[in-house]
Formats: sequence, structure tokens, C-alpha cells
Amino acid sequence: MSDNEIKIVSFLCNWCSYGAADLAGVSRMEYPADIRVIRIPCTGRMSPKFVLSAFREGADAVWVSG
Amino acid sequence: MPLKYVINPDVCLKLQKDKCGTCADVCPANAIDYTQTEETITLNAGSIVFSPGFKPFDPSRFDNYQYANYPNVVTSMEFERLLSASGPTHGHVMTMPKLPMKPKKKADKALAEKRKDPKKIAWFQCVGSRDMNKCDNAYCSSVCCMYAVKEAIIAKEHDPELEPYIFFMDMRTPGKEFEKYYQNAKEKHGINFVRARVHSVTEDRDTHDLNIRYADEMGQIVDDSFDMVVLSVGLEIPQETRDMAEKLGIDITDHGFCKTDSFEPVTSSRDGVYVSGVFNNPKDIPESVLDASAAASAAGDFLADVRGTMTKAEEKIEETNVIGDPPKIGVFVCDCGSNIAGVVDCPSLTEYAKELPYVEFATETLYACAQDTQDKMVETIKEKGLNRIVVAACTPKTHEPLFQESMVNAGLNKYLFEMTNIRNHNSWVHKNNPEIATEKAKDLVRMAVAKAALAQPLAEEKINVNDTVMVVGGGLAGLTAAKSLATQGYDTHIVEKKDVLGGEALKLYKTAQGEDVGEKMAALVADIEANEKITVHTNTTLEGVEGFVGNFKSKLVSGGNETELEHGVAVLATGAKCSEPTEYCFGDDDRIIKTLDLDKMLKEQDAKLDSVKTAVFIQCVGSREPNRPYCSRVCCTHSIDNAIELKKRNPETDVFILYRDIRTYGERELLYKEARELGVIFIRYEVDRKPEVKVEKDAVKITLIDHVLNQPVEIEADLLTLAAAIEPRKDERLANFFKVPLNDEGFFVEKHAKLGPAEFATDGVFVAGSGHYPKPVNEAATQGRAAASRALTLLAKKDSLFTSGTIATVDQEKCSQCGVCVSICPYNAPGFAADGRFAGTAEINPVLCKGCGLCVASCRSGALHLRGFDTNQIFSQIFALGEVV
Repeated sequence: MSDNEIKIVSFLCNWCSYGAADLAGVSRMEYPADIRVIRIPCTGRMSPKFVLSAFREGADAVWVSG
Repeated sequence: MPLKYVINPDVCLKLQKDKCGTCADVCPANAIDYTQTEETITLNAGSIVFSPGFKPFDPSRFDNYQYANYPNVVTSMEFERLLSASGPTHGHVMTMPKLPMKPKKKADKALAEKRKDPKKIAWFQCVGSRDMNKCDNAYCSSVCCMYAVKEAIIAKEHDPELEPYIFFMDMRTPGKEFEKYYQNAKEKHGINFVRARVHSVTEDRDTHDLNIRYADEMGQIVDDSFDMVVLSVGLEIPQETRDMAEKLGIDITDHGFCKTDSFEPVTSSRDGVYVSGVFNNPKDIPESVLDASAAASAAGDFLADVRGTMTKAEEKIEETNVIGDPPKIGVFVCDCGSNIAGVVDCPSLTEYAKELPYVEFATETLYACAQDTQDKMVETIKEKGLNRIVVAACTPKTHEPLFQESMVNAGLNKYLFEMTNIRNHNSWVHKNNPEIATEKAKDLVRMAVAKAALAQPLAEEKINVNDTVMVVGGGLAGLTAAKSLATQGYDTHIVEKKDVLGGEALKLYKTAQGEDVGEKMAALVADIEANEKITVHTNTTLEGVEGFVGNFKSKLVSGGNETELEHGVAVLATGAKCSEPTEYCFGDDDRIIKTLDLDKMLKEQDAKLDSVKTAVFIQCVGSREPNRPYCSRVCCTHSIDNAIELKKRNPETDVFILYRDIRTYGERELLYKEARELGVIFIRYEVDRKPEVKVEKDAVKITLIDHVLNQPVEIEADLLTLAAAIEPRKDERLANFFKVPLNDEGFFVEKHAKLGPAEFATDGVFVAGSGHYPKPVNEAATQGRAAASRALTLLAKKDSLFTSGTIATVDQEKCSQCGVCVSICPYNAPGFAADGRFAGTAEINPVLCKGCGLCVASCRSGALHLRGFDTNQIFSQIFALGEVV
């Protein structure tokens, strides 16, 4: 990850938050481009290892939503 | 009709004057064709489902509300758009919404300067409904009370300082969970409800605020001022629908709604034509969905003999084995016209993709989803020998299946596909930052490629479906469901604990439309008993259920004998019952009875009825109370129907109905009107000032405060009928058997309150009848058919039902048998292997697994994997993000 921008790794549940992010697009809302979405089938899939690994790879924040 | 833009020929300059033509110039897909004309297409159909819908009532013709002239008087439909995030104000409510957002005319500009956030909004109910003075719509539109309450709550949530007022005649919230919603609106959200019909609206010429005048419940004239008035417009059948109905040769009512029988509620007067939705009487979303499913079942019944005679077999393409082959990834970058390419530098993104590991081929496409691109994709896969595909386009939630179909057509397993969203999550939301958006798109493509490289072909396992059906409950809903299922060729077993079929309907006298329930039920039961496909188990209880969709085993016990029934689906139609009143001296005197007792007297032509001089009905006995907060839905119509019957038998009988709100929704309202015309007297009471009943020798004395006079009134009755609440059976054992939920009151909870009203979240289990919520004859029959229809969609796929490929699997060698997955799974998919080399370790039932990954995340041994979202794949995305590029 480049140093000069913030990176937020987002784990979004396919059934709700991922759809909400789709809808934000459909509604042409604007937000900072700092997030990178990883689609997961359910937040039940989340493992602490993913969070730690994202930080290790240089993420400034990890966002789990579902 | 595809969801695509069309040209309105009436206003198109090109078509009208041969000028302009801009759309053809700018359309990158060359989709504009001005030469297209209307075509007549002839279809040969065996059944027709007619669902033409409604039109919202147009209040322009009312001069008292000045909708056409005042900028702050809007319709509920307009207000609905105003609340919507995708509406003209992005969900922010402001006054004068009918003006253009950026007005161009001078007068509009001046008005727009006075725009403000409204602090006080009034909703007027029954605009174009229950009104014979200003329009001809005598019926109730059924949905307006609920939508007005909803709009008021949403508006208030958006602006807590807002004061919403709803002006109504009767608050009609008889649907499932609706009464609680109404009470919450009053108590928790602070919505003001005023029982009044507003006479007129005038406008402050300077501020454009609206002044209204109405008479309150005490008859006092009240003047008030609002920033905005929302007219809760009713539902109306437009003339073109009436014309169409005439062409189809089906009978309609005076108001244009389709005439249907209560026991065949979606069948028009013409065989082979079925109806659903508001055209089949005003209704809300769940009722419309039920109607639609029911119409599908009825249309299918009619065509049962010829089912499958015109189907074509799909050509199967052999799947290429890619296991062991190094990944050869193809990347398709979609411009989506200018939706993506207008922001993201797609050519440079494509060049970037070409350099990523394992990428064999990358190309930019104008529209990746277009048919010609799809064909090309298939060709490219074959030509280049690609074995993984990444599409960088819109959202997989809508488009993944389409691309997966192309994968299959190219001979690739559909799970070798990965999609990344560079439109909804990127170009649309970062349109002012094209450079950053391009960088983000590169990250997203890199992550997708990394994940795709690890994709494995996944198998979808065939689900074996036993096509026998078990219907629990032999009431109207269950019988209707069973009849449809058997007609369409499925062996159906009806399990009924009593010794006769028919359920509670056997106790009813007539339907709201006047049909004799006894006669109709006898005919239905005779049909059921004569049907070879149906096995009736009376005096039988269900004592246990094992298995899952397609493979249930149920234990039936009858007179001590136990049998096992194997079935693939189940319909739960266990009904509800009449509660025992605990108030109004019920049980103290035989002149005080329940509605069903009166039905019995009417059925039997009881001679006692002839001597009744004064009959009183009390409504909401045990309903809409703290311990039973729901409305029993059927009682208003039922009591009014019986009141009319008494009046017709003897016009000299004095009949009183004591009520809280009259809830004769739809065309049932006409019964309310008829009752008033016949001289039935309606007196409203408040729940905290209930009527008092005293039993005396000569009469049952009922005292209450009259809502018009505000004085106590005493009625000496010789018959008091209590509209006792309908109670669910609260069968927790049955609910546990099928792992289906009950709500607080004990009614079954359907899959989705709006879109899945006849099925449970548990696959293969369906619901119908009053066990779901109290319902009258026609609605029970509709839901019976709807449940059958939903079951049929599953049974019809018998030979093509597969599990998803993206489910959990166990590496049994690693399993430590801790059992966390077994206890944590909400769907009971993991279990312990009973025998074999790995006995005692976890195994996943692929039919039950929903692929959520909860077990995978909780497995401390790393024995569980989620195919398609495996740990290494998610890590690969995280690592790809971390790579410095």
C-alpha cells in the first residue's frame, strides 16, 4: 500500500452491507476513495486472522460490516 | 418487457418533426432505432393471469383541497418519492416539492426561494376512498392508513422536530404486526392522530403555509396551520383496465374490481383467466404477493394435463477439467458505456491487468453484459484456453449469474469466475476523482485476479426430492393447498387431528360476499375425499419430524398406531381458534354469546332469533389490548354481516355495533355502508371507556358514552354478541419439528413479511391460513393456493435441484471433534459422521448449508473450508492489497 493515502480494508456481508454499498453507488453518493471492499458471504465468515493480516499489510483501518 | 429505456413517441422531436436525433448520436451501443413501430404479437396461451394493477386517485378534481393550485399540497405518492433516497431531494423533505428542483421560470424561482424544511405536516386520509360525495369510490383502499403512518414515522425520524398529524376517520391497521406499528407511532414516535375529516384547505398567499379547518371529536371547530398537506390518495381502477376486462370477458364490480368467488379467490368469471393484485380488490404488498402465487397455482391447475408438453431440453456442454492446470486468467474490463469509462481510465486499467500474475488475456468491452460481448467471451475462452475469468464491471449481486452462464457455455465450471465492482463501488461514488478512482480500480482488479487464481471448480450436489406432500391441518387453507397440489399430480397427505375435515370454517354461516360456507365446504371436502392423489389422515397427530427439504420423515400417530410418512415438502395450515372472552359478563347469561354462536343460530335458523328486539355487538373483545395487541382482522366485517342479516330478518330489530375503529377494508366497506342504510347504529367507544354490561332479568343492560353526544347511553338488549379475538394455537412443538419461528403472540413467522408470505425461511416448509394471521375465507383460500404454488415451484424442479457450490466442507483428518461447528450453525448443517473411517468427526449436510462461513471462522483446527470464499482466497485479496506496486 502506498504511504500517502489512507487505506481502509472493508469486509462487507454479501447480503446487506455489500448491497448497501451498491445502493450508495446507484444513489450516486460520494465518499472518499480510501476503502477497498472484500466481499464475504456473511460476517460469520470473519476471522480475527483477516483483521490482523490486513493491519500487517499496512491497512490504517479495518471495517467489518454485516 | 426488458427493463430498458424507450422513446415516448408523442414528445420525441425526431419522430414528430424529424429534428434532434441526439440520442442516436450519443448512444455508444447504437441501440436507438427510430424506425421501430408497434407490432402485434399473437401468443397461444392456455391460461391468462391478469394483473393490471391500479392508478393512484387523482385529487385534482377536489376543489376543497386545492391540490392542483397549492404548491404545498402533495399526494402520498409524491411524498413517498420525497422520502426516497433516490428521489428528487435525496430523501430530504422540503416544501414545494412539485416545483422543479432548479426552477427556470421566473414565477417558480420566486416560489422556490420560499422553500423550507417543513415543521408541521398533515396527512388527510380517505382521499378518493370511502367517499360518495366528491367521487364515486365507496370502497376502502386498504393500504392508505398504513402508508400514512409509515410516511409520518420516516419523516419524523428524518427530522425529530417535525410534528406530523394524521387526520382519519377509522384507523385501519388490520394486517399482521400493523396494529403494533400504529400504537408505536402514537406512543414512541409522537405522531398525532386526529379523528376528523378536514373540510377545506386555504393558503397563506405570502408564506404558502396551509390553513385548515375541521371539527374535532367534540364537534368544536378547530383552525390550524401546516407547512405541508399530504393527501392519502386511494387506489382506483382506471377506465383502460375496465375496457381490458370487458375484452377479456370477465365480470367486474361497480368499482371496477374483478368479481371472484371467496373459495376460488383468484379465478375470474371466465375459465382460464386468473387475477391478482389490486384489480382483485385493494390490497397491500403481502396480499398482492399471495394473490400472485395463488393465481399461478390456479393457472397451473387448469393446465395440469398438458404440463411439460411444450418444454425443450437444454443442451448440455461438457465441462473442461482444469484441475492441476496452471491458472490462465482472462480479464474483461467493462466501460459500462460511460458509467465506468467516464471516470476510470479503462484502457490503462486493461493494460495494467495484462501485467498481473497468471493473466493471459485482458480486454476492454463497451458493455460486458451485452449479448454480443458474452458470445465473444465464450469464443475467447475457447480460443485462448482460459480457465479463470475476472470481470471488472458492476455488482455481482445482479450480474454474476449472467457471466456464470457464459462460463458454462464455454465449458468452464461457473465457480472459476470472479467479479469486481468498479462501478457501484468506484466510478459512481468517486466521479470527481478520476485518477484516484483509476488507482482504486487497479487495486480491485489486482485483488480479484489474486482470488481468481486460487478458484477451484466446485460441484453442486443434486438434491433428491421426494415429491410427496404433507399438509398439516385440514381446514380451508390446508384443503385448498392440498387440492391444488393433488390436481397438479403430487401425492398429498392431509393430517388432521379432529375426526372431520373443514376446521373452523365449518362454524361460519356466510362469507362477506354472501356465499353459504357450509355448502361450499361440503363441496370442497367431497372433492378432497374423491381425489385419488389425496390421502386423508383424520384423528391423527404429528409426533415427530426428521430430515430436511426434499427428505422429511414424519411420525404420524392415530389411535395409538404409529406410521411414518416420507415427504419432500410440508404445508403448515394449523389455523387459529376463537378465544374465550373474560369480560362483558360472558358466561353469566345465555343472551351473551360469541360471534360464532350467532353464526350457529343463523345456520340453524334458531327460533330464539325471532324474538330478538334489540341486538348489540361489541367489537375488539380481547383484541387490540395490551395482552393481545393485534387486530383480529375479520370481526368488523363479520359482525356487520350478521347485523345486516338480523336487520333483514326483521327490520324492526334495533341493532347496535359498539366499536373502536371499523375496519371493513376493500369492498367490505360496502357492507358497512349497507348496514348504516339499513339502520344499524354504530357507536364508538374508547378502550379506556369500555361499555359496561349488567345482566338483569328482562334485559342485558349495556352502558357506554356515546361518541357524538358525549353522554352515557343505556341499551337494553336481548342479545349481546361479543366479537371475541382470534387466537393462534401457539404450537411450539410443531414449530420445533420444522424449526420455524413463532412471533410473540404465537403466530407463525413467514420467510419475509412482504415478499415471502406463504413460506418459511426453512426450505421446503410453507404456511397458510390463520396460523399465520387471522384471515377471512377468501384470504385463507388465497394463502392455501399460494402455499401450494410455492411448494410446486420446488417440486417442479425435482430433477434439477442442486445445492450451491459455495458451501462449507470438512477436512476430516484435521477435525478435532470439538463440536463448535455443530453447535454454532443456525441451519443445523454440520453433524458428526456416524460411521466410516472418520466417525465422530464433523460432516456438513450440503443441502442445509447456506454458505455463511460461521463454522469455518469458528473452527479452531482449520478443518473447515468455505468453497469459493476459502481462507487462502480471502488472504490473497488482503495480500494483493498490500503489494507495493
